[in-house]
Amino acid sequence: MLKCLLKRKRTHYYLQKGENQLDKAEIIGLFQKVAENPGWQARQWKEERKGKIIGFLLTDVPEELIHAAGFLPYGICGGQNRLDSAIAHLQNWACSYVRSSLALALERKLDFLDGLIIPQPCDTTRMVLGIWQHASPLPFLQNFRLPRQVNRPSAREYLIGELAQLKEQLEIYRGARISNEELRNSIKLYNNNRSLLRKLYLIHEQNPEILSTKVLYTLIKGSMLMPREKVNELLTKLLKALEGETSPSGNDHIRLIISGTILEPFELLDYLDEGGGVIVGDDLQNGFRYIEGDVKEDVDPLEALADRQLNRIPFAGYDLERNPRRFFLSKMAVQKKARGVIFLHLKHCEPENYDYYDNAQALEKAGIPSIRIETEFGITSLGQILTRIQAFLELLGGK
Amino acid sequence: MSEKKTFKTAARMKEIMQEYYAKGAAAKEKRIPVAWVTAIFPVELLYAAGIFPYYPENFGALASARKVADKLSRYAEAKGYAHDLCGYARCGIGDAYAEEHPVGEILKPDVTFCCNTQCGSLSKWFEVASRFYNVPYFLLDAPQILDQPEELATGYYVDQLKEMIAFLEEITGKPFDYDRLLEVLHLSNETCRLWNEILDTAAMKPAPFGFFDACFHMAPIVTMRGTREAVEYYQALKEEVDERIKEGKYAIPNERFKIYFDHIPLWPKLRWFSELFASHNSLVAVSQYTHSWAYSFDLERPLESLAENYTEEFVNRSFEHRLQLKMNFFRKYGVDGFVLFSNRSCKPTSLGLYDKRSVLSERTGLPGVVFDADMSDLRFFSEAQILARLEPFFEQLASSQ
Repeated sequence: MLKCLLKRKRTHYYLQKGENQLDKAEIIGLFQKVAENPGWQARQWKEERKGKIIGFLLTDVPEELIHAAGFLPYGICGGQNRLDSAIAHLQNWACSYVRSSLALALERKLDFLDGLIIPQPCDTTRMVLGIWQHASPLPFLQNFRLPRQVNRPSAREYLIGELAQLKEQLEIYRGARISNEELRNSIKLYNNNRSLLRKLYLIHEQNPEILSTKVLYTLIKGSMLMPREKVNELLTKLLKALEGETSPSGNDHIRLIISGTILEPFELLDYLDEGGGVIVGDDLQNGFRYIEGDVKEDVDPLEALADRQLNRIPFAGYDLERNPRRFFLSKMAVQKKARGVIFLHLKHCEPENYDYYDNAQALEKAGIPSIRIETEFGITSLGQILTRIQAFLELLGGK
Repeated sequence: MSEKKTFKTAARMKEIMQEYYAKGAAAKEKRIPVAWVTAIFPVELLYAAGIFPYYPENFGALASARKVADKLSRYAEAKGYAHDLCGYARCGIGDAYAEEHPVGEILKPDVTFCCNTQCGSLSKWFEVASRFYNVPYFLLDAPQILDQPEELATGYYVDQLKEMIAFLEEITGKPFDYDRLLEVLHLSNETCRLWNEILDTAAMKPAPFGFFDACFHMAPIVTMRGTREAVEYYQALKEEVDERIKEGKYAIPNERFKIYFDHIPLWPKLRWFSELFASHNSLVAVSQYTHSWAYSFDLERPLESLAENYTEEFVNRSFEHRLQLKMNFFRKYGVDGFVLFSNRSCKPTSLGLYDKRSVLSERTGLPGVVFDADMSDLRFFSEAQILARLEPFFEQLASSQ
């Protein structure tokens, strides 16, 4: 009860003080609060603007298009909720991120959404649209059918067409065209956001004690849950506040890479921070893969969006003959002088599982130790993860 | 099953499958490229290019039917492949690492082709295989078609067929033979027409042929459509089914009910299921699975027609469209109830069945049931649990008449 009151008081304080005057701790506190109450800022935006909110499943969705239509894009990050409500609709051997997200909808925790866009990098996301519409109907529910081969010319042409179709659907829902200027402005806004987050990522890598792992990923997550204009303002201020700060202990950290689909649960980041770890790179949907690479601003916007998508960090959902991700991982590990790689796999994530053996082999060849940890939304046993991470850090010569 | 053995054509099946596998082995010696392909794949292009197509899914089904899927799977699991991946894929990957080959070795590919109309598991499995065997991999990407086919997805597929033809020319060193393609398409049309005529006899009451017969006789439609042998096989089978109709020989002794079944059978328990249904005087008459091979190619526009046929399969369609397809089958075959198999190996056929069960009953008033198991792996099979689902269903059926 007391905790609840304190939380309420803090919210009130942020609102009173105004975002312009927030200091480092307060900005970080705001992002933490959003991460803990994912719908908080979205509901507030809806109330103030009387606008529409379009959710998306992580993260291969062109948020720029949603934003350009005047809607608030909202990243559904799954939750700590129990998954019971989803069991009548989705088998318990389907991806727990999707089950958790559907459960949130069924528990009316996403009742501020007017729509949802589901990207299709795997079989569960391919199947869930009809189930979602049946179990928790929404006025705007769309698939985003990504090309699953990405290295032949046909993929690019198709993706541009699919982006145009999504744009058209958004225009119909909005009742007006999306102008090129609107889209360019949105692209600029999102490029700015990615660039700010990349700068913060670098600060974390170099000085993890002033920007911990947990905080870094909270900033990325929070960005998906708040209006991006506000996010960028806050992050700009945060960067300014961090200027000149350095980690007191210098570079004495265990440099690590995380590879996986979705970072979950966030609590494991506490263990990494406490154990002296620092994440120097990742390929996560809600990590570096979300913020790397910008959309070109001086060419046709749909072509530019397609090119960013096709050139993102390789992900197992796209089938490539030579599995470039294993080379990407081992190269990143060498370049970033990582001492180890943590494979953080969502249980039942088939694409990740099919590539795991190859990826682990590539790291072994490069002499980089790795560990595989399976997590599941709503069910993960934290104690076991802690023990395994501690053992791994010890193996790598940590504290 | 004893009835099935009396199909004279069954003996011929054994022969033509042996001939097919012998051709695969001979292809290696004759330096004809061996291509791995998926079941729902425009294989007609490969026949036209003179490439031998091999179906690893059949290897998976064979290993499953012989009840050794778990044995092969364990070799894959030892490398980190989880036991909840597709059972066929685990058989194939397991065989690559296995020290024992209880159903013979999988035929090694010179090139792998995959179409992802069916699922994303096949494409990952084939991708893994292309690295293991160090051969090229070609994916035909089929975006989901919801309710109405649209130019974007079909056009994309046609573009990829053209890319594939260029790739085939590269592999074979020969220009692609479009005349031969038309011949092959004609043979495929004939095979599919005969196959579907045979499947349709299950609508007769009582019927000479049902789903479990179809499972037994489906290997040629999957692996040999586009060849004369497949046409001849189904001509013979059709004649025999017609004879049975004349003679009054039926698929089960006392057919009272017709059942719709989704989708694929549990291969290691095929006999158990067929006997269970027969013991309740229920003929499993129809399934979307065996009806997948119902192609009709327009020889005037071969590539477009290939694209339409291979992307518009039920498994690549929307929730609502698939409900409609099921209800069409209910009507056409006059079914009395439906059984939905939620197959751990196959998310695209299984996710959505929990909701569909109630929607179908609401819309049609028919009794229906859904159960969980795996098409390959008996570690996920519980006779007691399945009977606990099916027995009340049979009671409901009996009381509905």
